Amino acid sequence: MWRKAILLSLREKKVFTVFTLIYMTLIFLTSLFIDLGLDGQLGQLAWYFVLIFFGVSLFLSLLYAWILVSRKRRVWATFKCIGYTNKNILVLVSGMIFFTTLVGFFVVIEVLFHYAAAVAYLTQASIVIEPKVLIDLVPVVTTSAIFIGVQILAFFLAYRKVLKVRPIIALKKVGE
Amino acid sequence: MSSNKDLMIEAIDVNKEYRRAGAIIRALADVNLKIRSGEFAVIQGPTGCGKSTLLNVLSGLDLPDSGRIIFDGENIARATEDRLSRLRRQKIGFIFQDFNLVNTLTAIENVEAVLWPTVLRQKEIENRAITALRDVDLLDRKDHFPVQMSGGEQQRCGIARAIIHRPRVILADEATGNLDPESEKQVMDLLQKINKDMETTIIFVTHRDLSQYGTKTIRMDKGRITKVQ
Repeated sequence: MWRKAILLSLREKKVFTVFTLIYMTLIFLTSLFIDLGLDGQLGQLAWYFVLIFFGVSLFLSLLYAWILVSRKRRVWATFKCIGYTNKNILVLVSGMIFFTTLVGFFVVIEVLFHYAAAVAYLTQASIVIEPKVLIDLVPVVTTSAIFIGVQILAFFLAYRKVLKVRPIIALKKVGE
Repeated sequence: MSSNKDLMIEAIDVNKEYRRAGAIIRALADVNLKIRSGEFAVIQGPTGCGKSTLLNVLSGLDLPDSGRIIFDGENIARATEDRLSRLRRQKIGFIFQDFNLVNTLTAIENVEAVLWPTVLRQKEIENRAITALRDVDLLDRKDHFPVQMSGGEQQRCGIARAIIHRPRVILADEATGNLDPESEKQVMDLLQKINKDMETTIIFVTHRDLSQYGTKTIRMDKGRITKVQ
């Protein structure tokens, strides 16, 4: 079922792309500010930003869960008609949310690796004198882990909404 | 042949009321009905006569206010939601008026989706979906998305989805309501073939006169069964 959740995510191109980009930006910024906070730069301000970003990620997860369940109510109702339990649908919905965050995380890692490679090249060519890693891996992994943890609340919301989807909706005419 | 005619679904003294805009509407009034295994039952009646409510109640999508629904020997009128989901997955196939295919999935994926929550391997699921699509003569369209198919093709895809798990009963609610006469005939012929070849019980709800396709016609009016022939 997890693989099918990935398939459904990838087919929802617009929503998937938009949320992946937002998650990517959030993971990048949160990691950056954690890195700055650990280095003692920006003082308390860095940690305030980190808290704000976690709050935004929570809001985002809830919004994503709400969109996935509400916009596709008819699909989930049809799935219930053909024998899906609430748990089956929850696996699909949470899989879609989880996969989007995970892709956002890997894109950030990819960007950071490319940045490090570019800086290393420029250092070798003596264009850049002081090589610097933009963000350490630890803040990025920590951020992503916390983001995924925050999503448990979104899964809970999704489950409550999935429970409310009555299979009978599938039998009503479109627009009824 | 008579051994195959055992009772598939039985409705006993079923009542169902709705409250709409303050008024109480009696959708089903003391309905008693027997559908035997292998029958092609056409439930016919004007709009608002309670035929769709009856279908919903027979399939466990809706609960009756009183009475019993015996589905393959089991009273489903008070079954849990999970039990009903499993029952639908194992024994019931649905065909919808609006096809209800997932637009982001191809024809074969839409058919396969029924078996995703099962323990079957992907290869086995794919093989079954191919067989189902071949049965409805839609194999050449297996990689097409619903928007790339005509109404008739989408409904045939819906039928393939309804038969992939070899259900004992297929329930169709106005399944030809959105089709032109030619596609309607194709779909009805196909359902008749499935009924004969697979011995699947079919309950077909319609407001039109399609009794020539059924082995049993049930006429309804104002929540009551007025005639069974």
